[in-house]
Amino acid sequence: MWTKGKKTSLILSLVLVAGALGYLALGNFGENLVYFVTPSEVRAFSPEQSQKKIRVAGMVVKKSIKTQADPVGLTFELTDGEATIPVVFQGIPPDLFKEGQGAVAEGHWQADKVFHSKMIMAKHSEDYMPIEMKRAGIKLPKKDFMKTLSP
Amino acid sequence: MMNRFIRRIQRFKGWIGAAAALCIFYGLYLGLLDSPPDYYQGEVVRIMYVHVPLAHTALLAYGTLFVGSLWYLWKRDVLVDNMCHAAAGITAAFTILALITGAIWAKPTWNTWWTWDPKLVSFAVLLLIASGYLMLRTFVEDPDKEGRYAAVMAIVGGIDLPIIYFSAEWWRTLHQPLSISMRGVSMSGDILLPLAIMSLGLNLLFIYMLMIRTQMLYLTNLLEAKKGRLLSHAHLSHTSS
Amino acid sequence: MTGFYLRWAGVIVIVGILALLTSQHYEKHLSSVSPDMVVTGNDSKTTLRVQGMVKSGSLTGNPEDGHAAFELLGASNSLKVQYEGPPPENLRELKTLILIGQWDAENKLFQARETALVTNYGYVASAYIVALLALIAFVFSMSRNVTFLYQEIKESKIYEPELGP
Repeated sequence: MWTKGKKTSLILSLVLVAGALGYLALGNFGENLVYFVTPSEVRAFSPEQSQKKIRVAGMVVKKSIKTQADPVGLTFELTDGEATIPVVFQGIPPDLFKEGQGAVAEGHWQADKVFHSKMIMAKHSEDYMPIEMKRAGIKLPKKDFMKTLSP
Repeated sequence: MMNRFIRRIQRFKGWIGAAAALCIFYGLYLGLLDSPPDYYQGEVVRIMYVHVPLAHTALLAYGTLFVGSLWYLWKRDVLVDNMCHAAAGITAAFTILALITGAIWAKPTWNTWWTWDPKLVSFAVLLLIASGYLMLRTFVEDPDKEGRYAAVMAIVGGIDLPIIYFSAEWWRTLHQPLSISMRGVSMSGDILLPLAIMSLGLNLLFIYMLMIRTQMLYLTNLLEAKKGRLLSHAHLSHTSS
Repeated sequence: MTGFYLRWAGVIVIVGILALLTSQHYEKHLSSVSPDMVVTGNDSKTTLRVQGMVKSGSLTGNPEDGHAAFELLGASNSLKVQYEGPPPENLRELKTLILIGQWDAENKLFQARETALVTNYGYVASAYIVALLALIAFVFSMSRNVTFLYQEIKESKIYEPELGP
């Protein structure tokens, strides 16, 4: 019943599943898996930490976006309610990138105390409604955006 | 004699299938034609009406596998084992589709197809668990051992379900928090309706698929037992009861 | 077996009708033209939907009060735009969006009164097509399998009670 090939395959499938569960147990439950850091944490970075490529999430500060034509890009500020960091972005931002909404920037916190990024992602909130409702000023219940940054 | 429950499925499954089809068609009409675009995402929000129900149904399918596995370990009913096996296959199918539609939604909204976000990772882990389960079932030949080992594995893997569901609340993710939670419902009625109808439709479709697939696995085993390829005492005792 | 295939043909027909209706709806209400096409036209009566990117450094006025002027970039031409309307939900430089309004051929100015987000219908269509086709194929193959199994069992007379070895 237990031919050699079957046994190896069985062990393989068990390893696969054990690996998956192990990743869950060690990766997700531990402190290791941090998808992004907040502007306050970036401000407190030591010089060694600045070497690594990181993701920073925050809310795009209103009236902070300034575009440049050459090279195409923009500068803006990200905030988590406590600290604010300036971001220099090269490229064309995604369509849903917007002032007063969440954004995740990938890049480096450099010695000039500016975050340099070439990739931004939009982090949208959980409320959905047609534009007419939005213009009528209706607000749907949602989690405070700053609280979604460090739950 | 063929199992009474299988014959009952054969008689009633058509109704479930018809109800599922009706709900899905109505949901598609609402989602694609009738509902308004979202103020922030525009027309792309329509992908939500297929992605979120697919993901929820994948969780429902694994939930069924989890409960079925407990039941099997308790009662050792072959039919329940077949149902678990069926639910695992359907979990894998729905998980793959939820991941694909999620990637298609993520590109225009987040600006990336894939990112190592806790919710995405834990969902991909669900696919690994489901495929590992299916592999295990293929490789163990003794039907009794196969059922027992698989059930234990499915129960251990169940830990992933709450992780997926609450990951956007517990950890830092690119995902938005849950739209329907203790905070209330943060969706307007005309966006919630197609989502609810599609969810209902896909849940019904899952029940329909579960019926067909359980039948399929049961009948395959029955035929094999009959042909003497596999001497399953359990199946033979079922056929003789 | 005929009944089985007939039912599935019905499902395919309904899916086809829905797909047709959706694409017609899209063509009728949501398709857009490029700035290049608008600049060359003289039609100032019809309401147009123009898709382009807001040129960097061109936005003036006060979008939050619903008044703004900017340039919309196309592939080779740009379009001067005057926006008057409700506060646009998201108008910013370097953003691709759709403007709804009329072309003023005399003043070479596009009078926009509403903005909309890029429809991205390709993404929506592919998500639905992938999900629906895969589900249909999956259910179809399982159902056909079950139908065949029943036939085979009937032929092998497994209905009759049979005792183990």
